[in-house]
Amino acid sequence: MAEPTQSSAMQSHLVNFIGLLRSHDVRVSPAETLDAMDVAATLGYARRDRLRDGLAAALAKTPAEEAIFQHCFSRFFDQRLADFSSTREERATQTGEQEAPSGPEAASMPKGDADHSAAQLLETAAQTDADLQALLTSPLLRQLQDNDSAALNLAMGEAAASVGLSQIRMFTQKGQFTRRMLDAMGEDQLRRTLVRLDQEDSPALEPLRRYRDILREQVRDYVERQYLLQAEGENARFMDDLLRRTRLSNLELRYQHRVQELVQRMARKLAERHARKRRTYRRGKLDMGRTLRRGIANDGILFHTHWKRTQKNKPQLLAICDVSGSVAAYAKFLLLFLYSLQDVLPKVRSFAFSSHLGEVSELFAQHPVDKAIELVNWRYGGATDYGKSLQDFARLALDDINSSTTVIMLGDARNNHGDPQLDIMRSIYQRSRRVIWLNPESRRAWGTGDSEMPRYLSACHFAAECNNLTQLERIVDQLLKMNR
Amino acid sequence: MHTQDFPQLASIEAIEQGFESFGYICSPKIATAVFLAFQLRKPILVEGPPGVGKTELAKTTAMLLDVPLIRLQCYEGLDEAKALYEWKYGKQLLYTQVLKEKLGDLLQGAQGLAESVERLHQFGDTFYSEEFLEPRPLLKAMQQERGAILLIDEVDKSDYEFESLLLEILSDYQVSIPEIGTVQARVTPMVFLTSNNTRDISDALKRRCLHLYIPFPSVALEERIVLSRVPDIDQQLRHQLVEFVHSLRDLDLKKSPAISETIDWARSLLLLHARELDAQVIQSTLNVLLKFEDDINTAESALRELLPRPAHG
Repeated sequence: MAEPTQSSAMQSHLVNFIGLLRSHDVRVSPAETLDAMDVAATLGYARRDRLRDGLAAALAKTPAEEAIFQHCFSRFFDQRLADFSSTREERATQTGEQEAPSGPEAASMPKGDADHSAAQLLETAAQTDADLQALLTSPLLRQLQDNDSAALNLAMGEAAASVGLSQIRMFTQKGQFTRRMLDAMGEDQLRRTLVRLDQEDSPALEPLRRYRDILREQVRDYVERQYLLQAEGENARFMDDLLRRTRLSNLELRYQHRVQELVQRMARKLAERHARKRRTYRRGKLDMGRTLRRGIANDGILFHTHWKRTQKNKPQLLAICDVSGSVAAYAKFLLLFLYSLQDVLPKVRSFAFSSHLGEVSELFAQHPVDKAIELVNWRYGGATDYGKSLQDFARLALDDINSSTTVIMLGDARNNHGDPQLDIMRSIYQRSRRVIWLNPESRRAWGTGDSEMPRYLSACHFAAECNNLTQLERIVDQLLKMNR
Repeated sequence: MHTQDFPQLASIEAIEQGFESFGYICSPKIATAVFLAFQLRKPILVEGPPGVGKTELAKTTAMLLDVPLIRLQCYEGLDEAKALYEWKYGKQLLYTQVLKEKLGDLLQGAQGLAESVERLHQFGDTFYSEEFLEPRPLLKAMQQERGAILLIDEVDKSDYEFESLLLEILSDYQVSIPEIGTVQARVTPMVFLTSNNTRDISDALKRRCLHLYIPFPSVALEERIVLSRVPDIDQQLRHQLVEFVHSLRDLDLKKSPAISETIDWARSLLLLHARELDAQVIQSTLNVLLKFEDDINTAESALRELLPRPAHG
């Protein structure tokens, strides 16, 4: 195991394995990759179960990740050694000879008779053929002849790395990658010789052709396995990516479950990054410098102690969501997001409105997500009236808005030509730390028809178009950063 | 800590055997993690349901290595003054008083203000020095001569800010004290962090640790654990009781019985001279295993299915 080539090959396998873990949504940092290398170097590759336990400790950091790890580990490492011996047995039985020893030790064993005769045939042919001689002494042919599965696997691993097999994503790429891998392993020389021998009708043609077939088969299998490994995680990620970028209103119902998961994951991520715990005022540490300075007035007698205080501002988030018919398709997701956010952030109050407005924080707290959203839609759905809703909001929450409050408005600002009650929006703007308006309509549509967006803009610190999950995530992330 | 000083941790087998001699029966996975933590000098974050021996793991390692175990119990509001270090305010205040009295002697014969100030500077800054430093667990673990086991218990109960405080210690084994500078660990301590998963630990912290999840043990392993802790118990009964506890864990309980409770139960059965598990014995001792009235009721109603089949031969 101490052989340098082998350990460096194992290292690159390890990197591939980590790539695989990443594609299965296990987050592995470069530092952890180095840890994994250390682990492998410390434990060695001899005992697979130990390696598995050790790598799991370094790479998988939650029980869920560990389950994924176990799945990937067994698929990745157990299938790594392609089985050259099966074809060998086949050959042995074909020629009616005794079964040749199989397994990794086969390489060191004396060669079976079948191989022996084939080798002899080739050698006699090679004596008159310099080209064939050169081919036979090439490492690839030697490995095939010796049935050195370890070396061949190593060669396949290297070829895979050089052609970038881990980049394989689509099944249509399989043939192309197989071809390129074979080329990288030096199969072209074998191919050319075969063509020539075929013309010459040489007796060496048959054994040589068999070697080529074995090689091709193995490489094809190898590519197939890699494809299965890589594509599985990748397809799921591709799907997630797609969903994130799709306009919320265009998302189909059947993906809703998946989006829900995505939104929740996103909200959790954001909350983790920005979590602030409510904290009571602490006495803190004694500030020696200040205590002494104060003492100077009393002739150095330390009369008053001075404490360093740590004061945390407690950000409060008020979110107002339009659930009227015009934004129904968005509202579903925005509510979902609000629900998830309230789940993970301590101080979120949620409001919903269309013709009138009400607080839904409690509803969210009491019911599971589907039920809560349904209830909100049922209670507050209808025709939009921003004016009336803002009045309701002012009555409910205006007194609670202070310099640490952020107000998020989710809506299209289409007011059916009613009174926009801009003065209420202004007072919210003046009292709060931030007012953020997220509008599902594109910026070009703002102000057209009954949209009051340009007028409301004057009472917002920040307004943005937001109609897919990526935008939503980015905006909320920014918002929470500013909130600190 | 180096391998030559601690042959107890030289190989995975040695660890398994060593732990066993202290009555801690562990799975190969646990031994592998401890081995790696020692070899790679990385902290281990141990997670798992309560009562599977997370804290015990650290204690046993300390016993095995015969080094002090320094424990920091985390709770909400834990801050650096309680975890890392604190200045000895009382002594500092006294020092200023003494200094004031000695000031006359010190400046005697000084010509003018400039020279007095110069003398004061020569005096050195002892006010913020190690003499006035009160080490708390984290700093104490760094100062041990022979190394130490540092157990940061229930890290999930602490605040996020505290986690960031741990980062420097866990990755570089050093502590920054603004008034003095960085204090490097004399001997790298072995660090165990435990978490009951009441909240997610930050990625930054997880990244610096090896992760070990200890689930409830398998039947065979738990039998070995009971054997090592309660050696007098009959083999038949031991098997039955462990099987029964396992079936309890499959029920929907508020709190599943942990290993410590299995051991307590085995001891109780031994005291009661029970030969075999039957409904009556179980009912009278169920409160040792289950700590909630609801759980006991649930278990009692399911008792008929859970009861071990009468032993044959």
